[in-house]
Amino acid sequence: MSTASSRGWRTRALQDPAIGILVLLAVASTVIAFIEPTFATRGNVTNIINAMMTISFLAVGMTVVLIAGGLDLSVGSVMGLSAGVAANFLADGIPMPLAFLCALAVGTGLGLINGLLITKLGVPDFIATLAMLSLAGGALLYWTRGVPILGYMSEPYYYIGGLRRVVGPITIPMLLVVVIAVTVAIVLNLSKFGVKLYAVGSSSTGALHAGVRVDRIKIAAYAISGFMAAVAGIHLAGRTTTVPPSIGSGYEISAIAAAVIGGASLLGGKGRVVGALIGALTLTLTRNIINLTGVESSWQAVVIGLVLILAVLANQTWSDLARFVRPRPG
Amino acid sequence: MSSRARVARVLGIDGVPILIAFVAVAVYFSLAVPSFFDADALRFYLNEEVPVFIITAGLAFVIIAGGIDLSVGAVLGLSAGTSLLASMNGFSTPLATLVGLGTGFAFGVINGFIIVKLRLNDFIVTLGSLNVAAGLLVVLTDHVQIVGTQDGSYLAIANTSVLGVTSAMLIAVATVAVLQLVLVKTILGRKVMATGLGQTPALIAGIDVGRVKYFAYILSGTLAGLGGVVLASRLNSVQPGLAGGYELAAIAAAVLGGVSLAGGRGGIWQAALGVLLLVTLKQGFRLMGVDPLVFSIITGLCILAGVILDRGVRRLALSLAAPAPAVTDNRELAPAMEAK
Repeated sequence: MSTASSRGWRTRALQDPAIGILVLLAVASTVIAFIEPTFATRGNVTNIINAMMTISFLAVGMTVVLIAGGLDLSVGSVMGLSAGVAANFLADGIPMPLAFLCALAVGTGLGLINGLLITKLGVPDFIATLAMLSLAGGALLYWTRGVPILGYMSEPYYYIGGLRRVVGPITIPMLLVVVIAVTVAIVLNLSKFGVKLYAVGSSSTGALHAGVRVDRIKIAAYAISGFMAAVAGIHLAGRTTTVPPSIGSGYEISAIAAAVIGGASLLGGKGRVVGALIGALTLTLTRNIINLTGVESSWQAVVIGLVLILAVLANQTWSDLARFVRPRPG
Repeated sequence: MSSRARVARVLGIDGVPILIAFVAVAVYFSLAVPSFFDADALRFYLNEEVPVFIITAGLAFVIIAGGIDLSVGAVLGLSAGTSLLASMNGFSTPLATLVGLGTGFAFGVINGFIIVKLRLNDFIVTLGSLNVAAGLLVVLTDHVQIVGTQDGSYLAIANTSVLGVTSAMLIAVATVAVLQLVLVKTILGRKVMATGLGQTPALIAGIDVGRVKYFAYILSGTLAGLGGVVLASRLNSVQPGLAGGYELAAIAAAVLGGVSLAGGRGGIWQAALGVLLLVTLKQGFRLMGVDPLVFSIITGLCILAGVILDRGVRRLALSLAAPAPAVTDNRELAPAMEAK
């Protein structure tokens, strides 16, 4: 009895790809902590957590889309446009809640449009969101005429951007990430919507036969991703205190990388919120270690590329291992 | 055969929608902007896009085989760097060309190995190698622009004038023609199509799916190397970030040309036509004096419109052909099934 349950626990842990990554991270962190004493200091740990917030928001949204079997390349530029909306409206003297609401509406709206293009017009997800990347990026560029947005910062916004701390090392973005992560995790694991989302991603034909309204689920997934991009944008505008037109470029790559490192699959039907956060941590930790150990910054992109491939390889090896270890049924 | 069925047949041919769109756009611009057909300007803009034509051909091959290669832009940039540096350091022109091609070939082999042998997701793997290649170019150039080689024969690769066009343009045309012939006329091409349509049926039919995909990635990498050599030869300078984002232009062009990202459908010349359409739009809007800041918005809208048009025409062809019950070709049925 006890053997069975402990084996069940062990198998479950082995099957969990997140454990593979975590083991990798723990080993890397321990080694670095010995080589580079500044790594394990409280200041640096706070730095790492602060830096991973933006990617965390995006990665959670990306994970939802990936679970549904989609892909969203537009998150970086939708985040940029939302940041632009928030900053510009604040600079024009519009009250903060209203400005934020508009930014959230823009992000969610663009996500909805992505979903409609993909489901109703049958545009491939890659192309629809690539076009949205151009559209949202172009809109911000045209709106700002290429000039960074300035002069919108206020005392509360420093808190929202995570530049001022609430209690101890805790900042508002940290609390927000926890709240959102828990909410989305509950929705994914315990709600009907969550079950349908995984079903649509695993097999959209199967889900259709089971009476799931596949289109609606997919549209909702893209809207959630757009909403999360807007949240990230509002936060990022506070963190950077200026909004240059190119603010969001390249973030889609980090978001996809984080989600996939965390175990989401581009084939759909797989992915977890915890995984997304672990993925965001992996990317941020890698950048931090590169900076600390004084590896020449030229190598940064090379290392990130290798980490991405290695992390996916580790995921796969771990689940292959689990299949090997798992006792045969019956 | 009724006229309806005849129209359906013509519309159903791969590449007809993009051809219609291209002709319409070209006619519109030549009416709206009298200087549109100025030979020198046309030559200049087409010459600029030669590297995109070359990688689009290779990328279309990979997509038709059911894969994706996001690394082509970055590998192109890196190959331009290695090749130009080789020439600057006294390598002979054939050797410098070989260095560039070899760089692309090596990335193709690595991509193919990881995707086929280690069975990792193609999107992620090539996203990783995109980062690696772009990073290596930064390391190679040490953050600054490198200029240039004194070797005239190296510069002649892209800049020789032949019959009123540049040698670079001839290389692009040759690449597209050869790949199209390989795809349509050879057994290998049939295998590529079959692999893209469905790996399991292809396997059952006795096709070594892994080898076909491996070949596609090596081809795409090597062509990125070729594009790099041509680019370096034309510019005689290389800087970090060179050719960044080319992969997105190439994918957009291929899809505009009717190449399905699901694999198994499309052709090389149609993808090249997609590049031509995007170039024409860019050049046309530039001549009309459209604000460069809205270019990216217009490009995004055009890609969407193109893809929706492609699907619309396909469905029209299908519905026109509907009375004849014998539509057994999978490739015609596929889009309608996807729409469900």
